[in-house]
Amino acid sequence: MAIANESHQEEHNMQEHHGAGRYVVIWVVLLVLTLVTVFTGRMHLPSFGLLLALVIASVKGTLVALYFMHLSEHRGANRLVFGVSIAFVVLLIGFTLMDFGTRFRLANPPGSQYSDLQAVDIGANPTEGRTGGHQQIQKQGHEVHE
Amino acid sequence: MSSAHVTPGSVPGPKLAAHFASLEVQKHAARLGMWLFLATEILLFAGLFACYAAYRFLFPEAWAASSRSLDLTMGTINTVVLITSSFTAAMAVHYAKEGKNAMVGHMNVLTLLMAVGFLVIKFFEYKHKFHIGTLPGRYYFYEGIQLPGAPLYFTVYFASTALHALHVVIGMTVLAFATVRAYRVGDFNANNYTQVELGSMYWHLVDLVWIFLFPMLYLV
Repeated sequence: MAIANESHQEEHNMQEHHGAGRYVVIWVVLLVLTLVTVFTGRMHLPSFGLLLALVIASVKGTLVALYFMHLSEHRGANRLVFGVSIAFVVLLIGFTLMDFGTRFRLANPPGSQYSDLQAVDIGANPTEGRTGGHQQIQKQGHEVHE
Repeated sequence: MSSAHVTPGSVPGPKLAAHFASLEVQKHAARLGMWLFLATEILLFAGLFACYAAYRFLFPEAWAASSRSLDLTMGTINTVVLITSSFTAAMAVHYAKEGKNAMVGHMNVLTLLMAVGFLVIKFFEYKHKFHIGTLPGRYYFYEGIQLPGAPLYFTVYFASTALHALHVVIGMTVLAFATVRAYRVGDFNANNYTQVELGSMYWHLVDLVWIFLFPMLYLV
């Protein structure tokens, strides 16, 4: 019976007609937030730039989900599904970063910020960087054919 | 309250499948199914977001330099276009509930036009990258940024934007079906708007993914 009540509640919320004004307001807010994130992004804030951009994106995403996708009018099961999917996204990214953050230093890929091996050490030309070696082989190959 | 109950047959609406107790339950099931599907889509993109996080953590300098090589103007225009198309998709549902089928069609056509615009801008961005050589992995030949990890950035860039573009095309197909039905059949009304609603939900998901991709790739 619980599911039937939930369906009824959802139907009631969805049928309750509200004007288009609500969508216009959300649309304008989304556009303003886009401009804000572009503006703050161009300032290249050193430490909290990424955090700020992700917070703005999360606010925009929440507005889209709640009002454009009508999650604010849905009940129980739909919210649970959406919430659980977001929780698993956080788990996936969180545990990946915890893994990389706590690794044995030598386990990091050469050339990365946390590795002792940099481009020079792995045979890449220091001036040409990572692709130096690859292009070198191609050049030699041409010379042999000629 | 009892008047809010939908009795099949009184108002033209969708058929009630035998295994549902009522039309309300049937619509609820449709929405729940769509949310379950969208959850899998979110997790699909989450895999790419995790790649982004891991490699950004390892190669912060290459990430910063590469993201600055993107065209921010085009990215911003695309964001505005996609958010506006999401707005028109939401308006289509609004008109479908009122039974204004012509307006449903018009709104969906606007959404589709903006979707095409998004893809055209994306095409020019891709073309530029193929020209200067900011390409994934060993196809990378851009002289301007020679840092370890820069080709990885463009692997993540192309994988995530191409998957997103594929979703744009799928979303356009779904919306096109609803558009044709709105113009040809015109039977959307307060009882029968599930097709428009679910198509629009898919479109909002495409928008939602881009809302995160845009700052990640272009800004920070």
